[in-house]
Amino acid sequence: MSEPMIRLNRLTQSFDGVTVVDALSMDIEQGEIFGFLGHNGAGKTTTIQMLTTLARPASGTATVAGYDICNEPLEVRRRIGYVPENVRLYDTLTAAENLVFFARLSGVDAPARRVREVLELLDCTYLADKRVGGFSKGMRQRVGLAQAILHGPAVLFLDEPTSGLDPMGIKMLRDLVMRLNTEFGMTIFMNTHLISEIAKTCTSIAVLSHGKLVYHDRIEAVTARYGDDAALEELYLSLTPVGRLAEVA
Amino acid sequence: MFDAALIPTRLNPTPVRTIAAKDIRDALRDRFILIVTAFLAVAALVALVTGAIALRGDVATYEAAKASLLALGKSADAIKAPEFYPLRLLRGAIEQIEIIGAAIAILIGYRSAASERGRQTLALMLTRPMRRWQFVAGKALAGIGLLAGGLALVLGGLTLVLHFLSGIGLGADDLLRIVVVWGVAVAYTACFFLVSFILSLHMKQPSHALLVAFAVWLTLVLIAPQIGDTLDPDNQVAGGVFKQLNIAKPDQVEIMKSFATFETVRDGIEQASVTKHFERFTFAVLGIKATYAGMPLGPILIEMLGNLVWIFLTALGLGALALALPLNPDRLAKA
Repeated sequence: MSEPMIRLNRLTQSFDGVTVVDALSMDIEQGEIFGFLGHNGAGKTTTIQMLTTLARPASGTATVAGYDICNEPLEVRRRIGYVPENVRLYDTLTAAENLVFFARLSGVDAPARRVREVLELLDCTYLADKRVGGFSKGMRQRVGLAQAILHGPAVLFLDEPTSGLDPMGIKMLRDLVMRLNTEFGMTIFMNTHLISEIAKTCTSIAVLSHGKLVYHDRIEAVTARYGDDAALEELYLSLTPVGRLAEVA
Repeated sequence: MFDAALIPTRLNPTPVRTIAAKDIRDALRDRFILIVTAFLAVAALVALVTGAIALRGDVATYEAAKASLLALGKSADAIKAPEFYPLRLLRGAIEQIEIIGAAIAILIGYRSAASERGRQTLALMLTRPMRRWQFVAGKALAGIGLLAGGLALVLGGLTLVLHFLSGIGLGADDLLRIVVVWGVAVAYTACFFLVSFILSLHMKQPSHALLVAFAVWLTLVLIAPQIGDTLDPDNQVAGGVFKQLNIAKPDQVEIMKSFATFETVRDGIEQASVTKHFERFTFAVLGIKATYAGMPLGPILIEMLGNLVWIFLTALGLGALALALPLNPDRLAKA
């Protein structure tokens, strides 16, 4: 059996003595769309920060595309793309200038040509020569996604990608993510609050509560055990403090 | 899309240049740099013109006195013609660079770091295959490049004005002195840029970093040199105590031996300020300080080497510190 695309082994992070990610262990296989659920402050973003080499774990290890996040961060960075929750690019530069900048930083040969290809792929060539300062949230998210896939990463990390988007924007993003996964075999790691999106997009899910992993399974197993989308919501609520609070009420 | 051929096989060698080029383009488009450079240019120009008007006044007074003496049938040898060294007119401009230039450098340093914080562009950069020091080096290179460009515009413009204002034109030696002053001014302002950049990059709140940077500016640019000047025994009388009392240089040295400890402390306070070193160096090179007027550049550079070394070592030391301090991505993601 081949090595998983992402492997977490007792990954732990703490700030000022408070443990925010607590001994997280799980495997995510190549080609999966993985949905990472959890309440605000559960530790989802902190986990992404460690996996994208932005922050060093307090203890534990993880590998991404077979490379250790602590010992081989440059190899990891060559193989990942990252879209933060609020994509804020350089407002004074055009979309194409922003993308060429990130392509150069990624070491892409012929960055201008590559930027055109990616913009065509995402159906947003019309944004190329416009300054990002005047973009809507949806437009920014598209360019944000474009910057993350310029170098053809093996794994794409999305942190709350649908946050603040209208229904059209959410659908557009969902379609793009599905396309990147099915056409190009990209593994997707997605933090989200939207359970409906998880049901429509993901092949496996995990639920994090107060830094601890409380559930991890493939989506078929979830639906087989709990039924339809509404049941997925019930599962999530039963595993998180918000849900337990609702039960008490 | 997942294409192994697209994954760079080696460390990208150009992130420093790429980041610097992006920062310069970004800065020029948002017009902040252009506005502050124009502000410094206007301040320096006003200082230059004020100096020229004062000199013209001196010349007019001399001409009137000479005409009166000649009308009375007396010799004009008794009155001394005002000395005219065009570069001396740059005194006000140098003082503006000392004070306003340093303040502008602080603002550029703050913006360079704070603009990346909070808008999460830093996270996008730091997840690229580059080393963290390359990010810092790229940002610092852009900031210092912008200062160098701004100072070149200001000093270049002043040189042109001076050339036409002086009426006698500037020679190659004068131009060389201005180039030397430009190089040292870049290093001097780079010190303040780096102080502000480091603080804004590493302190919890960038706005607090800006306040601390201005406290440093206040101490180095205004307080320390002022303390040094105020405590200087020779400054207690306008024109200088020794000069007013016609005390010769060897006697001055002998007298000052009695104040050795006091003088060491006073000089130490002045020496602690990079501004004082910049002022001593530039005033000597441009002949603003009377002792150096008309003196060839070579001997001045040798005599002022200590000041030069101090300025460049401060800039290099701060640059090394900026590169050596580890970045905290969690902190950098917060505005």
